[in-house]
Amino acid sequence: MNNAAKTIEVTVERIIPATPGDVFDAWLNPKIPGNPWNMADKLLLNPTVDGFFYWTVKSTPHYGRFTAVEKAARLQHTWMSPNTSGLESTVTVTFKAKGKDTVMTLVHSGLPDTDGGRSHGKGWNFFLDGFQSQLAKSGGV
Amino acid sequence: MEQLNDVLSAISHPTRRAIIRRLANGPARFLEIAEPFDVALNAITKHLKLLERAGLIEREKRGREVLISLRPKALRLVADWVHEYERFWNERLDEFEGYFKQQRSKKR
Repeated sequence: MNNAAKTIEVTVERIIPATPGDVFDAWLNPKIPGNPWNMADKLLLNPTVDGFFYWTVKSTPHYGRFTAVEKAARLQHTWMSPNTSGLESTVTVTFKAKGKDTVMTLVHSGLPDTDGGRSHGKGWNFFLDGFQSQLAKSGGV
Repeated sequence: MEQLNDVLSAISHPTRRAIIRRLANGPARFLEIAEPFDVALNAITKHLKLLERAGLIEREKRGREVLISLRPKALRLVADWVHEYERFWNERLDEFEGYFKQQRSKKR
């Protein structure tokens, strides 16, 4: 029996108008809109190496362990949710200065490449209706 | 595949994604689409041309008015292709970037 699941990697990049230090701090501050912690109904967050996070959106749990916390430079943690199908995926965020701005690159690797992971009709609605409202309906990703 | 490339390119910009979201609520006139954005009308025209080329929107003349509406079929190409987490992180980072842009414009 072959248990090896096919996985994929997602990369997203943005240029943020602030210094890497400010962007790094904001990414870990649950009060700042746009970071994943900001949307939690319940949140436990300990961003130190081997520290854990746990958050829920509409009772859907997401959890992981920080594996790298390099201030103003790099952040890495594992990420598990019902949509990772039991796989421990990895999120790596890097922050690089570009003039007065920061190039922020987020790589989410080890994601299961399954029909559940890919969107089909569900994802279509997800995209159009806007993230917040859809997330509330679907109970997280 | 060529259309998928056009669609992916068209939705790679947050303003164009916002336009798509607006049109998902129903057809709109040009100025209604442009109103929420703090950019030149010329820029909105360019965004709309890109969306039209990708087959994501269409224009329909009704009397003296031109209504712009979404052609969702093209987006289904992406729905079959893009991973759910790609959308999740794109939306998150759009919001995060938007927060910092707001902060910077407040300082000015």
